[in-house]
Amino acid sequence: MNGNPRDELQETEPKRVKVYVLEDNEWRDTGTGFCVGHLDGACVKNGENGAFLVVTDEELPDNVLLKSKLEGNIEYQRQEETLIVWKDLTCRDIALSFEESTGCDALCDFIVKIQKSVEMNISLVAVRSNDDGMGSVHEIITGPVNLPSNDKDQDDKTLLEALRILNENTAFEFLRKETVEFVLAVGYVSTLVHVFQKAEQNHKHRSLILLSSIVKTLFLYNQRQILEEMVTSENIIGVAGILEYDLEYPDRKANHREYLQRSGFHFKEVVPLKSEEMKNIIKKAFRLQFLKDVVLVRFLDDHTFNLISDVILDFQACIIDFIQRDSFLTRLFALYTDTSVPLESKRDGIRMLHQCVQIAQNIDSLDKSKFFRTLVRSGFFDVIEYAFNVETDSGVRILATDMVITIIEHDVFLINSVNNECANNRDAGSDQNPSGQMVSLERATSVSSDVSLLMILSKILLTDKSLGLKEQVVQALNTLLHPEGCMEGNTAYQDEQNGDLVLGFCNDAKEFKEHFGANNSQDQTLQDIPQILDYFTKFYEVVAPFLFKPLMDLTVLNETSDVLLQHLIKLIAFITTEHDRVISQKFILSSQILSNLATLLRPTHTLQLRLTVVRCIKSILLLDDEIYQQELMAQGVYRPLMGLLEENINEDNLANSCLLDFFHLVSTHCSRALEMDRNEKSGFVLLNRHLVDHYESILQQVNYVPTISNMINMRNGGGVVVFGDMCGGSEEALDGKISSLLPHVDPGFNDDNDSEKSVTFKRAMDKLSAVPPPISIKEDVLKEEG
Amino acid sequence: MKLDETIALLKQGRHVPEETVYKLCQQSQELLMYEANVTRVDTPVTICGDIHGQLHDLLTLFEESGGIEKSRYIFLGDFVDRGFYSLESFLLLLCYKLRYPDRITMIRGNHETRQITKVYGFYDEIVRKYGNSNVWRYCCEVFDYLALGAIINESIFCVHGGLSPDVTTINQIRAIDRKQEVPHEGAMCDLLWSDPDDVETWSLSPRGAGFLFGKNEVDQFLHKNKFDLIARAHQLVMEGYKEMFGGGLVTVWSAPNYCYRCGNVAAVLTVDDQMDRNYTIFEAVPAQDDVGNAIIPTKKPQMDYFL
Repeated sequence: MNGNPRDELQETEPKRVKVYVLEDNEWRDTGTGFCVGHLDGACVKNGENGAFLVVTDEELPDNVLLKSKLEGNIEYQRQEETLIVWKDLTCRDIALSFEESTGCDALCDFIVKIQKSVEMNISLVAVRSNDDGMGSVHEIITGPVNLPSNDKDQDDKTLLEALRILNENTAFEFLRKETVEFVLAVGYVSTLVHVFQKAEQNHKHRSLILLSSIVKTLFLYNQRQILEEMVTSENIIGVAGILEYDLEYPDRKANHREYLQRSGFHFKEVVPLKSEEMKNIIKKAFRLQFLKDVVLVRFLDDHTFNLISDVILDFQACIIDFIQRDSFLTRLFALYTDTSVPLESKRDGIRMLHQCVQIAQNIDSLDKSKFFRTLVRSGFFDVIEYAFNVETDSGVRILATDMVITIIEHDVFLINSVNNECANNRDAGSDQNPSGQMVSLERATSVSSDVSLLMILSKILLTDKSLGLKEQVVQALNTLLHPEGCMEGNTAYQDEQNGDLVLGFCNDAKEFKEHFGANNSQDQTLQDIPQILDYFTKFYEVVAPFLFKPLMDLTVLNETSDVLLQHLIKLIAFITTEHDRVISQKFILSSQILSNLATLLRPTHTLQLRLTVVRCIKSILLLDDEIYQQELMAQGVYRPLMGLLEENINEDNLANSCLLDFFHLVSTHCSRALEMDRNEKSGFVLLNRHLVDHYESILQQVNYVPTISNMINMRNGGGVVVFGDMCGGSEEALDGKISSLLPHVDPGFNDDNDSEKSVTFKRAMDKLSAVPPPISIKEDVLKEEG
Repeated sequence: MKLDETIALLKQGRHVPEETVYKLCQQSQELLMYEANVTRVDTPVTICGDIHGQLHDLLTLFEESGGIEKSRYIFLGDFVDRGFYSLESFLLLLCYKLRYPDRITMIRGNHETRQITKVYGFYDEIVRKYGNSNVWRYCCEVFDYLALGAIINESIFCVHGGLSPDVTTINQIRAIDRKQEVPHEGAMCDLLWSDPDDVETWSLSPRGAGFLFGKNEVDQFLHKNKFDLIARAHQLVMEGYKEMFGGGLVTVWSAPNYCYRCGNVAAVLTVDDQMDRNYTIFEAVPAQDDVGNAIIPTKKPQMDYFL
């Protein structure tokens, strides 16, 4: 830093300038001339050099307007572009106003050079007014830098001084930069570690706390190289040790070192890495993670947190990149086809892979795709096969499922497409077995890899004992069966083809847009559509009959089946809503599922299962599909549903709320249908009629919300009531005082107007309009209050 | 499952096996389904605000306010995220719920959702503690069953966030099927997300969910439902609690030194049989480990690493 040799110093070119001196609080113009940075050889006394700012009169070159020595601790201020102002050692205020900013630049450079070589105590500060014109910003351009002692022998006094200096130096970019250079150049971190070891041996508690504060301050410098310096093998234990002491907890000590020093235990190599450099990166990444998550967790500000995260991310990207090279993965996957490999190595291999997949979640999307593809290409399926067919430890199986979920959630067709690519034109098969028998895994594999994955997962869901695994598998199935997920995020499918081609896949253009409008996946290529259709067709032919078997044949149930049935019913709700209606409906109607739903609503099943059925029926009804609505009625699901209502009619519990929500749905849709075209044949109108005709006496007992009286009213031709009927739960209705008035119009209806408006209003607000609500709302509410 | 043993483990911040968590969550669901969306609670009762995984401060809260063996509690949600002991805090409350069903009411906060916990710490905490996310999944299932509000003696309405333009009466909340992930809009969302503010009428919330509501909305709601007070949490209050709108609404905050760095005190509000309000203020205290040694609260380090 302060090392520019003297011989680089040169006099500057003359620059035109006006000289001012402050007298009686006023700047007096003392003339215009040319300014040079002058080195006075004659002044070399006692080994000192003299440097001056000299201005000569432009008209009388012999007339020196100013000769001011750069000396002592003079602070030169550069104000805006063209002004240099200072107070010399005789306390005279001087200002040079340059004609051009380049002139000012040249003299500032001169001052900087002099500061760095001969007069290290002078300084140059830039002063600019703030953006808002109020106040000013000071920025040090050059000047003396206070630096902490790098002595190996330090006491409280020097440490306190170091802490003060380091804190001060964070305030200015220049000081900060100089300090960072110092820290890196002299190995300051290892000095601190050295001082720490002595202080700890001698039980110098105050020193320890000071050291901890110093190290924390260094983190605030937000400097990648300093960070890396902290986590080298030489320094990390010392740094962790220092950070065990904390000003906030002066009477306690953490045990970070103890944790880190078990590092032989932490770091496992399942197959040799063959690179010391890479091992080092892995260790550094681990240490940084430890600092971020544990050691510094209460201390880090957002900047430093982000910096550490970024460095870790860099390292992780390196790691992911590395393991795709040098046959590493091939050697790893070889573990799973070699029966002589010990079980524990195979398990560690899965743990390691799981970690890599977790890490990869944070890296760039394209790199992630590349990594996952490399995984599948190199034999990832061998791991899956091992985990689900051989492995008995459910912890390990859970990790394997977790990996599958991560990969398919990134790109649902990745495993499929890479496997197909490897599958060497295996026959896609046109003679699947649609009869509902379980298809062997092998057979399914020959059809399509993804169906085999679905089969593996289905089998786990149906047979595995681990409840945690079941929950995971449900999530994986949901992802694999989501048409949106199938097209999203798969960059290979992005082309300018329009979505028209996919319309067969959804019911109509509107629904298509609902499904896919939010992302860019409308752009599908021709060839990919049959692939997706193929995938779902195969699901219904091969997987669904196996997966949903427990729902289709209730005779094989046992008492633990209710949890499984809940999962399956949720899946039914999912596929009926999300999949192509023609294909999914064909499956649903040809199975016994709808009539079995009626059975599962009966009191012999858990309340949770029964409510799951109600919700499933609700979501099917919402499709507003005539065939489903007729079929649900025909299969008699409403009788047990009303039974459930009767059981809970006077309860205020989840079952009651769930059913109220159900009737609300029927009521609002019926009301809408009647309102729109008085279409008496709308499914909801028919359903409303059915419910009121058969169960009016039960329904009438529900007197605490206006929904039910609306339903009855609509059935009896009482006209269309106002949409938004939920609002009318007036106190009277709540108390049941007027229930005898049913089915006449509930007085609560009067409230409906403001409900409708507030719903409408909210929608308007959602569109980010900041317009105040219509005055009428307030008026209505006030009226109501009065 | 031995509830008392699990409670002891949790109080010491020790590891609870995945199997135990699963059972605990199942039993909690079965219990919670019989609760109303807005449950009725009697006095005397202590109302508690956000906890945010600060287990040791939760233990202090119980010590300072009589304890679960003697007093009745309503928790206004936000049990998880931010702090380092979300799991232990949430499970401890669930255990108390199972052990003393009538003494504790748990209301859902805006952090009790899959989406929010994935970002704000609970998910990471579980992966760190168990190596996989299953326990997070079990807990999220329980979140779906938590109540949306409570009413004390037909006069104090308790909720996590605040009011909704879609809710003018309590029966409108009753008709929500609450077993779902918190939606992005609508009554259920607003109850968990809204904030009181100095506004003339419903206004957009800077949080991106729920609304801002002012004195007018509070007065109307109280009048219509014949309530005296809305007790809610959801916002950090340096003094632990803050009454607004002429005492018609109070924010209660129960996580002292929030995020281990905010420097705030915490409060709980006890309402006695005369409906008098008493605030208990408490500060963060040094945490202790399972054998009573003082510890520095921190995250659990990650497990072994491979390659």
